[in-house]
Amino acid sequence: MDVFGNLASGFQTALTLQNVYLCFIGCLWGTMVGVLPGIGPLAGITLLIPVTFGLDATGAIIMLAGIYYGAMYGGSTTSILMNVPGESASVVTCLDGYQMTLKGRGGAALFIAAWGSWVGGTLSIVGLMVLAPTLANFAMKFGPPEMFSVLLIAFILLGSLGSGSFFRTMPMVFLGLLIGTIGMDPLTGSLRFTHNVTDLYDGIGLLPVAMGAMGIGEILIATEESLLRVIHKVKLRELWPTRDELRASWAPIFRGSGIGFVIGLLPGSAHILSSFVSYMAEKRLAKRPEEFGRGRIEGVAGPESANNAATGSAMIPFLSLGIPTGPAPAVMMIALLIHGITPGPLFISKHPDVFWGLIASMYIGNVMLIVLNLPLVGIFISLLRIPFRILFPVILLICLVGTYSVNTSTFELGVLLSFGVLGYFIRKIKYDMAPLILATIIGPTMELSLRQSLMRSDGSFSIFWESPITMTLIAVSILLLVWNVYRGLRPTKASWEKALEEGK
Amino acid sequence: MTKDRAASLLFLLTGFYGFFFSVQLPMGRWNEPGPGVFPITLSGLLLLSGAAWFIRGKRRAGETAEGEKAGWYAIVRNFSTPIKIVVLTALLILAFNRVGYLVGSSLYLFALLFWVSRYRLIYSIGIAVVIGVGSWYFFAKVLAVQLPAGLLSF
Repeated sequence: MDVFGNLASGFQTALTLQNVYLCFIGCLWGTMVGVLPGIGPLAGITLLIPVTFGLDATGAIIMLAGIYYGAMYGGSTTSILMNVPGESASVVTCLDGYQMTLKGRGGAALFIAAWGSWVGGTLSIVGLMVLAPTLANFAMKFGPPEMFSVLLIAFILLGSLGSGSFFRTMPMVFLGLLIGTIGMDPLTGSLRFTHNVTDLYDGIGLLPVAMGAMGIGEILIATEESLLRVIHKVKLRELWPTRDELRASWAPIFRGSGIGFVIGLLPGSAHILSSFVSYMAEKRLAKRPEEFGRGRIEGVAGPESANNAATGSAMIPFLSLGIPTGPAPAVMMIALLIHGITPGPLFISKHPDVFWGLIASMYIGNVMLIVLNLPLVGIFISLLRIPFRILFPVILLICLVGTYSVNTSTFELGVLLSFGVLGYFIRKIKYDMAPLILATIIGPTMELSLRQSLMRSDGSFSIFWESPITMTLIAVSILLLVWNVYRGLRPTKASWEKALEEGK
Repeated sequence: MTKDRAASLLFLLTGFYGFFFSVQLPMGRWNEPGPGVFPITLSGLLLLSGAAWFIRGKRRAGETAEGEKAGWYAIVRNFSTPIKIVVLTALLILAFNRVGYLVGSSLYLFALLFWVSRYRLIYSIGIAVVIGVGSWYFFAKVLAVQLPAGLLSF
């Protein structure tokens, strides 16, 4: 069946009453967690995982994906109206968005942000629809050496492009990979780091790890902060941008969509990085770059389109290779695994209803979000009036129930709390938890492919040079590694100047 | 102590732990790598990273301004709320199966609202009971999640 035929069957799946409802709930919850500072899309997804247990896999992924891209829409609202980014990808939007609000153009900024998000999101779904099946077909030829090479380059890219430096990210990756080895070895049956605890024989639960590190950790940090919330009201008639604002926005929206789509394919904090790159690109292309940061519409249009485009393309490696490139796709992968579906090269051919249903629901969800985020913006803003001191106990309770409900195990609640404390500590010392979670999830596949490759080659590492794919990937990995090590170790200009001064 | 030094301690501790227990695992041969190979390599890399950040952290402590240090005073000052939450959550986890969800969650919410959020006693009791019972109904009855009954028979 061709793409359009598949898409038509996807719409048949997505347009059932239940799936439209689930898509709406996902988008609504996503917008809410995007609006509320302190709860990002990741916490939003993990919190609703228990709700998906009673659903089929298609309904579950439709709802969870709705939260993911919905949060990107919601995040811009508080950035523009309050100078408080609802989620990390909207930090850049604060720069010009809030300045526009102070000038009385907050409504126009909200409109352009929503419009740009819709264009970016929709274009990235088109890309996802075309690229994911192609990539999955290509990946079907992958054996263990190819899989190992792909994962190796993914981790090195994660180190290079993550929110921290390479030398800060890589230890977190090693730690995550080590956590991933806990449990029974899949090849020999040996028990590793289990200390006779039967709950650990099947490995450490991925859900408590992700929910603890990101959900509980985030709450513990948020309880330390108090936010001064000054809300600027926007009337519906103020939403319309002027003709000049519209004219100035269309090119940044398309450029941002392109930038976001490409960056979204890379591992790391893609949606954050994409909005920054888009902002820098717009500033560089502007005739008067000095006006950026003082309320330029291009500073809202580009980044908001970029972060939404990145969410769509981030689904490509996750669905077609089984490699989540960020924490939110990683949690969606956990949800699919709970439903007995393994994302990877065979996913689209084995579960076309789930894949095409998801694609169709994303088109529907993007339209829902435009409606939710423009006329109903006032309702979402009023959410900020709920005191956080009531909100956080409820979120904690949902995290606990969500974790308990998977295996009805209090041991997993212990894991949840331990990783919550670890997540809190890691945030305090300004390291990033996302690489640890990704490594914990992907680690077992990486180890298995390495060992299977060596068994197949009778212990020779030359197996990684035998096919053009592995050869290219390993060569690029080595180059990236060398470049990162050089970049991290070379003396900076400041240190040269200091050394010269000391020598005088 | 700098933040990098605090991180280095985490990497060193986990590295030592991983190394100590990995060496007890079979290593196998090159053509059949055993279950110990991957963890021991990762432990080695963690030890290396920890040592590097430990040295770098020390140098930076002497070089940088006060603001770049971990700010332990600020951490301790802010630490009280997270530690209260962790203690209460740990207590709920320990008592979860014995007291059950309905009683456990209501007491947990009450403690959080009264002790951490500093609501008045009557408000704390009211909100805790409403959310506790409401969430029990939503999870146990609407979503059919299996929750421990504990002290109560439902």
